[in-house]
Amino acid sequence: MLSRTANGLYWMSRYVERAENIARLIDAGRRMDALPDAGVNGNSEWASIVIASGCSTTFPHELEEATRENVVHHLIFDHENPSSVYSSFAAARENARAMRIAVTTEVWDAINETWATMRSLTPSAADRGQLSGLLDWIKQRGFLIRGAAGASMLRGPGYSFVEIGKYVERADATARLVDVKYNVLLPEDQSVGGGLDYMQWQQILRAANSLRAFRWVYREAVTARTLVDFLILNKVSPRSVAHCYCEIVEGLEDLDPRTTDQLRVLNRARRMRDDILETSVDDVLGQGLHEWLTATIVDTNMFAGELAAAFGFLGPLESQSQSQSAS
Amino acid sequence: MFNEMYDGDSVRPEYKLIQDWIDENGVEALTEKRAEAEALFRRVGITFAVYGEGGDPERLIPFDMVPRVFGASEWDKIERGSIQRANALNAFLTDIYGDREIIKAGILPESMVTGNEAYEAVMEGYTPPGGVFSHIIGVDLVRVDAETSYVLEDNCRTPSGVSYVLQNREVMERMFPDLFRGGIVRPVDHYGDMLAEAMQSVAPPMCDREPTLAILTPGQYNSAYYEHSFLADLMGVELVEGQDLFVEDNRVYMRTTRGPERVDVLYRRIDDAFLDPLTFNPDSMLGVPGIIGAMKAGGVTVVNAPGAGVADDKAIYIHVPEMIKFYLGEDAILPNVPTWQCGKPDECKYVMEHLAELVVKEVHGSGGYGMLIGPASTKAEIEAYAERIKADPAGFIAQPTLALSTSPVLTDAGLAPRHVDLRPYVISGKETKLIPGGLTRVALREGSLVVNSSQGGGVKDTWVLSQ
Repeated sequence: MLSRTANGLYWMSRYVERAENIARLIDAGRRMDALPDAGVNGNSEWASIVIASGCSTTFPHELEEATRENVVHHLIFDHENPSSVYSSFAAARENARAMRIAVTTEVWDAINETWATMRSLTPSAADRGQLSGLLDWIKQRGFLIRGAAGASMLRGPGYSFVEIGKYVERADATARLVDVKYNVLLPEDQSVGGGLDYMQWQQILRAANSLRAFRWVYREAVTARTLVDFLILNKVSPRSVAHCYCEIVEGLEDLDPRTTDQLRVLNRARRMRDDILETSVDDVLGQGLHEWLTATIVDTNMFAGELAAAFGFLGPLESQSQSQSAS
Repeated sequence: MFNEMYDGDSVRPEYKLIQDWIDENGVEALTEKRAEAEALFRRVGITFAVYGEGGDPERLIPFDMVPRVFGASEWDKIERGSIQRANALNAFLTDIYGDREIIKAGILPESMVTGNEAYEAVMEGYTPPGGVFSHIIGVDLVRVDAETSYVLEDNCRTPSGVSYVLQNREVMERMFPDLFRGGIVRPVDHYGDMLAEAMQSVAPPMCDREPTLAILTPGQYNSAYYEHSFLADLMGVELVEGQDLFVEDNRVYMRTTRGPERVDVLYRRIDDAFLDPLTFNPDSMLGVPGIIGAMKAGGVTVVNAPGAGVADDKAIYIHVPEMIKFYLGEDAILPNVPTWQCGKPDECKYVMEHLAELVVKEVHGSGGYGMLIGPASTKAEIEAYAERIKADPAGFIAQPTLALSTSPVLTDAGLAPRHVDLRPYVISGKETKLIPGGLTRVALREGSLVVNSSQGGGVKDTWVLSQ
């Protein structure tokens, strides 16, 4: 497979996943915004969403001025924000279009239709009362596109790159979603482990579409400990970092890496997976949740960089002795 | 003016099939199908990018639902004539980059060849495998009566549009399955196999195995990108960009996730000027440094070969009938349109006196831009154009305003005749052949003679009946 094609499929997949995760982050903000006592310390819920989305540098306002309206606009509709849902769907389609023969008609249709609808939406589509419907639509498009890929693509290298892209993006996004809590200030009369604290964790779980699943697994009310276990360490949870790392390793193994660089990437992925499977909640909380999440986000991104280099994503793959003969 | 469907009040036999369908189902049924067809085209992403004109850059080429039909014997002549022409053009290209017999014989002046913008001196002494420079030639034909089709121009560089031929058929077969029953209409869907087979048959001398084929595209922002990806998919070959390829020891390789993989025959859909920055435009980011050297050393075959454009120039066009005689010893089956060369003083004089009746074109222009259609122009437009001719007479040719044949199109007010042309695609490898059909372009505006998609033209499915 052409390196450029692999690169395109990988990014197509990442952008689809990114759009969905941005929707999940906004959903978390929307839910926390609706809690009693929310907004007592200003709009820290919305500021925390901007921080967690990694968009604080593109956000055109001061973080203290973050509101539901300006955050939703920046994260969903803003053409200037390369990580907005709009830009993500646009980039997913651009990549799919450039790799038109590597994606099936089913995948192309799903992405192309998504883009056509997204492009026609105006910010009024997120007006009060409609926001959650819009967020559902974004998530559903993610389900549809991934489903089309899973049901129609050949199980070859192309599909492996789609899978790897999806799980790299998701590992990063889940870590960011859990980190939202770090930036939301509890009012002074509320304590860690108290009522609001509990409700905030619950909203994070909901944003991950995992509240019911959580109940099935733990059969108890959510706490920081169980949430960290579920969304980070438990590989039965499809959005957990551990699950993502397991899938990344599988995708890489399917690619049957041969070169030294590719084997090094596979080893790194295996190490990341093995480490997280041996990590306990106490290890995470002992290091500090925010610190641990930050380190995980950095690790994931460094892995992504090595992956790109090993498969020739970053510019051209040079052959061993590139001596071009002039004509 | 020749109407391909109606001869007075009676339906010509070729179109009986269509008339019967309309009689049975009504024109309204066609209108309903039109919306369905448009949705299909939009869904598969078959769009034509027109840049610099505002509006949606990914617009659909308007598709007309009424097919254009050729009878078996009508097609037979077009087929033989197009193959003959392609053979002569390839013989000409091999000759002028080789021994130049045609110049020695005094049929063409040397300056017309070597002074031509599309002439590539770097190709001198190179004979491509099988003597084929131009593996895909689009022969643009216009019909003026039941017996006569003129060749309007040849396209020897990288003619586009064949994806529409195949997609139009695909859509028509979905819309009107009953019309295709029993093989009345000859199929066209073997184009991909035909092209792949031709490419395999011109593997370079250094290729010692089943050749690997690829298509080189300038990328997704090119107006014909859809077609490039369509063809790659059809043939099951990689669609590469310049950045995917490199040359080493006179062989061309693709950069893959498994490392370098050799390419033997490359169908390039980028212009000569951008093909190799070491040979042509040094600023080209689209090309492959060293590919011309590799080609000349026999490490890769480039389809169509660089420099083929010299054969489709409008100044050379005039001499194609002589070429056919010279190389093949035959008379042209498909005649040229009578043409005046403004470079010749007496012919120029005639042109200047008859501008209001003629069509005048730039010798090096393409795509229907920069031409004068005398009968459709104002006095001021004609005068302005006359000044341009005076400034550079050799840059212009003139032809009579042809009464292009019409075929019916579906309008809001029912069926109405519109002017059409035809581009069959001749494929040359070990053999020269073409699919039964081609691209019918139609001028959708009433009375218009300009069929170019960039100027209000549309397309139709083209049917060749099996008997």
